[in-house]
Amino acid sequence: MTEAPRQLTLEQWDLRYLQLEQAGLAHPSYVGPLSRHLAEGDLRLTKLRYDDSPAALRLWNFLLTEEDRLHEARRRGKRIVGTMKDLGTIPVMAYSLGDLVAFYPDGAWWTPCVMENSTGLLDIADSMGIDESFCPVRAMLGAFVTCEHFPIPDLLTCSVGATCDDFSAIAQRLEGLGHRILWWEVPHRRHPEEGEDAVRLPGGFLAPKGLVAFVESELRRVGRALEDLAGRSLDEARLRAGIARTNRIRQCLADLRDLAYTVDPCPMPALEMLIAEMLAIHFCSDQDECLAVLEDLLAEVRERVIAGIGVSGPGAVRVFWVNPVADLRVMNLLEQCGARVCGTDYLFAHALDLIPEDRPAMEALAMQALADPMVGPAFDRASRIRQDIARFRSEAVVVCRIPGASHCAWEGRIIQEVLHQDMDIPIVEIEVPPVSDSVAATLRTRLEALVETVRQRRPR
Amino acid sequence: MICAGIDAGSRTIKVVVWDGDTGTVVAKGLIDQGVEQARLAQGLFEGLLRGHGLARSDIRRIVATGYGRNAVDVADQTVTEITCHARGVRHAVPAAVTVIDIGGQDSKLIRLDSNGRVRDFAMNDRCAAGTGRFLEVVAARLDTTLEGLGALAARSFAPAAISSMCVVFAETEIIGQLAASTPREDIVAGVQAAIAGRVTGMVGRNVDGPVVFTGGVALVSGMKEALELALGQPVIPAPDPQMTGALGAALVAAEYVSGTYD
Repeated sequence: MTEAPRQLTLEQWDLRYLQLEQAGLAHPSYVGPLSRHLAEGDLRLTKLRYDDSPAALRLWNFLLTEEDRLHEARRRGKRIVGTMKDLGTIPVMAYSLGDLVAFYPDGAWWTPCVMENSTGLLDIADSMGIDESFCPVRAMLGAFVTCEHFPIPDLLTCSVGATCDDFSAIAQRLEGLGHRILWWEVPHRRHPEEGEDAVRLPGGFLAPKGLVAFVESELRRVGRALEDLAGRSLDEARLRAGIARTNRIRQCLADLRDLAYTVDPCPMPALEMLIAEMLAIHFCSDQDECLAVLEDLLAEVRERVIAGIGVSGPGAVRVFWVNPVADLRVMNLLEQCGARVCGTDYLFAHALDLIPEDRPAMEALAMQALADPMVGPAFDRASRIRQDIARFRSEAVVVCRIPGASHCAWEGRIIQEVLHQDMDIPIVEIEVPPVSDSVAATLRTRLEALVETVRQRRPR
Repeated sequence: MICAGIDAGSRTIKVVVWDGDTGTVVAKGLIDQGVEQARLAQGLFEGLLRGHGLARSDIRRIVATGYGRNAVDVADQTVTEITCHARGVRHAVPAAVTVIDIGGQDSKLIRLDSNGRVRDFAMNDRCAAGTGRFLEVVAARLDTTLEGLGALAARSFAPAAISSMCVVFAETEIIGQLAASTPREDIVAGVQAAIAGRVTGMVGRNVDGPVVFTGGVALVSGMKEALELALGQPVIPAPDPQMTGALGAALVAAEYVSGTYD
């Protein structure tokens, strides 16, 4: 491979797919031309630009066939667990049990974007009183009503407590529709008081030991429900093996992030990296294949790094991105404006950290659950962002607000405050709705202005 | 070396022709924005050139800015209004540290570093309540003109409280104020305070001075005072504030030609 990678339209990818097929591309059965997903209503795909590697094609197909995988699992008699508001904890337990398939119903928040609001999921949520003053994750309610996007799970779990207020309200509304939910509580992660036993969590936060013990007891309660569903015990050996498998995925993602966010030219576009990072929290309903997809992507990135080729232009501005976009197209837009992503905090930085393997397994999981940046003070999250900005040598920050998400109303200001304590770095806040066409011009202006600002500040 | 800047804003198109050798404005002009943005911009630009005995070939580079910048076919390059307003203000008021630009459909707060480059910026373009459009709506509702608003506001001793976050609802609120016999001058002063509040809300009151006020709304009397009250410090209106973006664009064009713009 010597040619520089390109970002292709859907049409161009179809042509390339034919060429790859003729050249004997070997791929798993779920991989096909991306345009076939248009027939399923994924209209937004026509507006995106994709990395041209077979590894990226596999990644996209893996993402876009998750529904098929879930329905197939149901047909094969596997038990399905919906792990709501869970950013990377319960799926680890579920997949440790073997015959369970876990997925992330909240993932429906991207359906209004991918299907350009054609399925009416948000309208259904509106009609249930969960209107646009809530985060677009309310689309999940519509998905449960229509039953068109995933099979109704055999068990639904949901974390509550110090997690997102919006999601709690949405999940409560779901329970009101008759879907029984096993709630588990995550307490607010506070700083240990003087003399209080403390634990250093993955990622570096300190927490009182008592909080870890509480979360562990909650996870054990969820574990018993999973055992009942699977008909087998979630013993220490199984959970350890599950954690080790999860850590292989996390290590692969860590390697991928290290290269994609540090090497010049950028070896993998921001959009594909966003999709890859999201796999860390739910594995897209197949943990083994998830690892294979990521290893494939990492191999591609390594080849590009060795060949010195990439997708960003010379001097692309290095941007740290906070929060995932409701409209995937904006990741393309960032690059079109002359920037590249160098570091991210997509709300689940803890799910990218390795789970400690030198602790009893359930305690280790509790530690990583409590390391969730969203369950502690926003200042803690901002401090972690500051560390990552230094690590990835980011030159600017985009704080991407999610419309209606309760945390987004205030966290941008706190992040700015913390970063500006000792960093002279431009920060811009944007708000991205699920279909951002109506605000595309203003988003472009903000991102272009950020790029201009950084370029003017660089030493000549 | 002659360069030009074209600021295609939401309400007006502005053109500045700049002589980089003498450091002077050769020509400038303004027309209302319309449907055929590219044709309007080109017409204004070419008319100015003709009026000053210049040909297109005399112009080394043209930079377009403003929300309609991508529609300006005659431009060699586009640059955002953030950068251009910063340049324009810094040229006109070299001591400027903070720039407040309130235009027809958005407002911006730009912080400059000691070299006059943009350090950081914040924008409001989702809510018309912090923009010139708000003043237009109010002027129409109160049966006066934009120019008349300032005279009215100057007579107010008790500005009305306008609390709505959106122009549509604010207009409803104004109708309610009129029904309650609130004097027009108090309504106008209340609206100006509300706009100033939206602008300071982007960054808080901790704004470093000198603060320079630019954009079309800087021409509306009373707005400077409203901003000063909201910020708690003096505000300097930019000279010829409507033209600041176009001037900045022309300066960027000249920097580009001289190799000092990245």
